Amino acid sequence: MKNTISISPLTRIEGHLAVHAKTEPTSNSKNKKEAKVSEAFCEGELFRGFETILTGRDPLDAQQITQRICGVCPTPHGIASVQAQEMAYGIKPTHNGRLLQNLILAANYLHSHILHFYQLSALDFVDVKAVLQYKGKDRLLISLKQWIEEALARKDVFPAAPFLPRYEVSYVKSLDVNVSLLAHYVQALEVRQLADEMAAVFAGRVPHSTALVPGGVTQVPTLERIVSYGARLKKVTEFVEYVYVPDLLEVAKVFPQYFEIGRGRDNFLSYGVFPMDENGSKFIKSGAVIGGKWEALDQENILEEVGYSRFSQSSGRHPKDGQTIPEAEKTNAYSWIKAPRYRGQAMEVGPLARAMVNYLDPSETWIKNEVNAFLAAAKVPAEKLNSVLGRHVARGLEALWVAKQADKWLGELEVDGPPTRDFTIPKTASGYGLTEAPRGALGHWLSIDNYLIKNYQCVVPTTWNCSPRDDKGQPGPIEHALVGTIVEDPAQPIEVARVVRSFDPCIACAVH
Amino acid sequence: MSQYSRREVLKLGALLAAGLGLDSTYSAVFADGLQKLSTGQARVLWLQGMSCSGCSVSFLNSNEPGPVDILTSMISLLYHSTISAAQGADAMRVIAETIASNDFILVLEGAVPTTMPEACTMGGKTLEAILVPALKNAKAIAALGTCASFGGIPAAEGNQTGAVGLKTFMEQKGISFQNRLVNCPGCPVHPEEVWGTLAYIVSKGYPAVDPKLLTPNMFYAHSVHDNCPRFHYWEKEIFAKHFGDEEGCLFKLGCLGPLSHTSCPRRQWNSGVNWCIRAAAPCIGCTSESFAKKRDFPFYRKGEASHPVNYKESERKEVTS
Repeated sequence: MKNTISISPLTRIEGHLAVHAKTEPTSNSKNKKEAKVSEAFCEGELFRGFETILTGRDPLDAQQITQRICGVCPTPHGIASVQAQEMAYGIKPTHNGRLLQNLILAANYLHSHILHFYQLSALDFVDVKAVLQYKGKDRLLISLKQWIEEALARKDVFPAAPFLPRYEVSYVKSLDVNVSLLAHYVQALEVRQLADEMAAVFAGRVPHSTALVPGGVTQVPTLERIVSYGARLKKVTEFVEYVYVPDLLEVAKVFPQYFEIGRGRDNFLSYGVFPMDENGSKFIKSGAVIGGKWEALDQENILEEVGYSRFSQSSGRHPKDGQTIPEAEKTNAYSWIKAPRYRGQAMEVGPLARAMVNYLDPSETWIKNEVNAFLAAAKVPAEKLNSVLGRHVARGLEALWVAKQADKWLGELEVDGPPTRDFTIPKTASGYGLTEAPRGALGHWLSIDNYLIKNYQCVVPTTWNCSPRDDKGQPGPIEHALVGTIVEDPAQPIEVARVVRSFDPCIACAVH
Repeated sequence: MSQYSRREVLKLGALLAAGLGLDSTYSAVFADGLQKLSTGQARVLWLQGMSCSGCSVSFLNSNEPGPVDILTSMISLLYHSTISAAQGADAMRVIAETIASNDFILVLEGAVPTTMPEACTMGGKTLEAILVPALKNAKAIAALGTCASFGGIPAAEGNQTGAVGLKTFMEQKGISFQNRLVNCPGCPVHPEEVWGTLAYIVSKGYPAVDPKLLTPNMFYAHSVHDNCPRFHYWEKEIFAKHFGDEEGCLFKLGCLGPLSHTSCPRRQWNSGVNWCIRAAAPCIGCTSESFAKKRDFPFYRKGEASHPVNYKESERKEVTS
């Protein structure tokens, strides 16, 4: 269709997403093809029905089943679920239980943030073909170069798949920068794997931890396990500090315009994450920012609308009374993702949202100091954080904060001390768990009747970010951030893809 | 030949066989298969249906060969939605041309919706519309994970989409699956099962499988219970009573080890750093056909003392058969 851009499927994210944009011509006389996005639509293309599948089941099934909503971020679902159950059962984790849950979640952050920058996003910026000019001695780069050369020589149908084909657009031009980023793409595969091994040391295995239970985890933290986690954490932390964060700055130098592109509304939401004590204070705090103004979080302000979503229940329900009734052919609906709103507003969630909520929190200081130090060093004004590069930078900085804090939690563990505590499931109860997945605010709402799950609803990070229009017609955060994006070649809309990927969408999560 | 020397490939084949507790004849078969994979003789089309990408992440957690080798030398991965640089129309073109070439192994991760085909679409097409020609043309088909194998959680009681595993879908569509479809269950699948299965198919063809479940006998013959390191507690009837108990068989906490046929006790998880039973976590039976399917068949027996609606032993055995 004329004046329409579609990226369907939008790959290198988790899951099934199509992005459609209406465009208008620009007045650029040098590039007649150039277009500007005037309206955008995010279409979640999957529905499995986890919430309905959960009803009528034993509540303890929930932390196992909900982890399977997403294989990239199962741990946060497990945490949200055990927190909802802990509230319903009237228990709190043991000292070790809290720390071990934090350490497992920290490992998931590191795996996910590293995966996002290198495996998911980097190919939008790096020129893979540059490796063919590589003359150095790095074993992995030589291996990659030979492999591409051989594939080309064999005349494979799609040589060097899955790295090619790609949009043939403007990538990094410097051979040195390309080669260094590609070497780190390869290195990141191994470092990400180490992060998953860290999680498994205390979680039994990942993805889909079996050791996570209400009250903590099933496994005692022995000295051997603490050392095993710590040795891997050291390597991952070094990678984040000396490779990942510097690479972000390198990409920012080549593509500074992406501090201007993909600006959101200045609406941010954080539920807070990583409990620091029994009383609920958190390492990264909760809060909401609406139109640039901070306020305290109140989960009662969350509603889910479905005017443009493929569901037939009444719109605007709080998740504690939420419903999920699919209607595949609903008129005007264009997505399997619901439209959650906070006080009627579409809210961005994720590392940038966490940073901004904490930056603007009048009582908070440490994140503000960290962000200010980065901004001063990078010579970037604070208002430019709300952008494609701002989201990448916030993610990288957060990876470093979490890695360094994980080392402190490791030191606070009581060796061989109790990893969990006993509980009984009451006949009737309700609870909710609010945490933060790597890609944003995650809430589970649970009610129990006759010892079984009566209702279970999840409002997931990408449900917020990739939401379609709400009943009033307000576009979701990504839909809004895309408006105004200049696309050089509408047949290869890399600019649209870069904006969408900066949010780190996870569609299996969003649709659940 | 690629940069993989004969010696390196033999080593990887031996590691794979040893990790899975298989004898030395398998190491040569795996080595031969891995070499063919690495020289582009087997092209893989990896599609995701109603999935969570957990099996993909698990595959990237492969230890020998490692994730770098997976992407840069060991496999011609023509398309994978989480990894491919191709997007939009390019991605759909790669999928369509691969299917038309008839020269590929199809890997599916995730279940297939049958009563609500719109519940999973890609590039404006239903999964079903893409899958039917792919299943007809593929040289071999691997269903990775419990969703693709048996439907898994998307097919659990109360689902609204009619989700099924690949064997049921192929039966419904009248597509032949005998000696073509291999099921590799696990939620997620273990990377060694993926490598072992792909390498075996490429080297020797269709493996010996369970006639009903279509799971390769080399990986799925024994239950977790059979090889459990806590089996001695079971024999002495010493049972763990609470989560976190370091001693005792986990059976009375709900352990489904007797139902779960897999190599977990041998090769463990995440490069061997841990696995469920070692972490004192009851097995939840994630490789079994019945995994998560029934509302009244919970993972844990923790709730049993406090409410009477839980299953009885007789029901557990019924599900086993």
